[in-house]
Amino acid sequence: MLGLELKKLKRTGIIPAMLLVGILGALYALANFAVRKDTLLSLPVPPMVVLLTQLYAMIAVLNLFVIIVANCIIYNIEYQYDAAKKMASMPISIVKMYLFKFIIISVLLFFAMLIQNTALVYIGINELPPNSFDMRTLIIFASYSFVIALPVHAFMLLISSQTSNMWMTLGIGIAGFFSALATAMSNSPLCLLNPFVLIMKPGITSAELASSSPDRTVMIVSIVMAVIFLAAGAMGAKIKKYK
Amino acid sequence: MNIIETNHLTKKYKNFIAVDSVDLHIRKGNIYGFLGPNGAGKSTTMKMLLGLTAPSNGIFHINQKTFPADREEILRGIGSFIESPSFYGNLTGQENLEIIQSVLGLKKSSVKDALELVGLTDCKDRLAKKYSLGMKQRLGLASALLGNPPILILDEPTNGLDPAGIHEIRTLIKSLSEMYDCTILISSHMLSEIELMANDIGILNHGKLLFEGSLQGLQGYAEKKGFSSVHLENTFLAMIDEDNALRKRSAIK
Repeated sequence: MLGLELKKLKRTGIIPAMLLVGILGALYALANFAVRKDTLLSLPVPPMVVLLTQLYAMIAVLNLFVIIVANCIIYNIEYQYDAAKKMASMPISIVKMYLFKFIIISVLLFFAMLIQNTALVYIGINELPPNSFDMRTLIIFASYSFVIALPVHAFMLLISSQTSNMWMTLGIGIAGFFSALATAMSNSPLCLLNPFVLIMKPGITSAELASSSPDRTVMIVSIVMAVIFLAAGAMGAKIKKYK
Repeated sequence: MNIIETNHLTKKYKNFIAVDSVDLHIRKGNIYGFLGPNGAGKSTTMKMLLGLTAPSNGIFHINQKTFPADREEILRGIGSFIESPSFYGNLTGQENLEIIQSVLGLKKSSVKDALELVGLTDCKDRLAKKYSLGMKQRLGLASALLGNPPILILDEPTNGLDPAGIHEIRTLIKSLSEMYDCTILISSHMLSEIELMANDIGILNHGKLLFEGSLQGLQGYAEKKGFSSVHLENTFLAMIDEDNALRKRSAIK
């Protein structure tokens, strides 16, 4: 089933786009640190916090955009020429199909983040003051940033699977992005119910308050929301009639 | 023996009844022509048989199995083509068939066979979205025929084909039934086509099954009712007109 879903992605550009975002994020981090190294290291926070949080916002925006676009495309290929109707009349599980689409984008996102974090490792080893780079902290932060990206991915896949018009899905994604920009700074716990806010959380904070430690609340809310959206999406895919 | 049987199969959409308590009896190895004007409920009935839409009432058995419990088992034995060709536009004709071959767990050679059968071998490497209407139709047929399923459900399979293509597909459908003992449920607006292919006929109007039986049986029924029985088309039109007139009268009352 995984091979089947991968085969469907041929010529859609999803795989190169996800990897390209990984490379772009890595280049952004390298270029930013090369140009603003002194400014960044003069901030009143430990160098490791600077490395992980001060470059994060732009990388998160790139990741968010590719998550929105990839989820739009992955179901658009099913709806554009009614392939979903054919699949619904085949002896396969529509729920499994949905879950494998989720897994494919999650794995691609993981690789994109791996490329981005490889650049951070390079910067940490070569540009931070001696003995200030901590690999363990970076791995924990990278894992945290991956987990908090999952709710928006699960949400966008849910929307994409239920909406045959790709532009509608894209519009919801863009609206979600702007809603995150508007509310991410808020301290209201209600804002954490917006999956677009969760992915932006570590990047939208003042340098003084920035931390390289995962926020436990954000982490728990992310896991719960990702599971809820995924379950709702799988149920929705099962119920939906592909006429 | 009936391979497909429906009992009071009904589909309601709010105030509109698309399929009204239809009892179909499709015999194994036969070609069953499903006739009716636009909006009669043919496609909806076929969609219900494929699980694409749920019946509002009634049940059906396919090969003595029922939906949704035996969904995957039932669908494994059905090749289908509903309304319009369905495919992945970003894949070539061959790649589209490979997806279905992989789902059905068929031999790789089955893709080549299906492409040859519908005459798409020369265009197999072209993107499906760039196919002409007739080629898309052939691709849809190839995906239905892949692996010679024991049951075929074909909704207007010759739409968009040129006369040569129509003749080719008709010959193919007839040969499938003869060679592989394949049961075929086929709907078409081209009554002359159905007349040349089908053993049994079902006539649907406004969701109601007006007639079900063999072609000879239809002739007998037409003669009894005083309808023209020279061509299927004449009988069909007379039956539909009579039913529509009855409906009008009962609506006025």
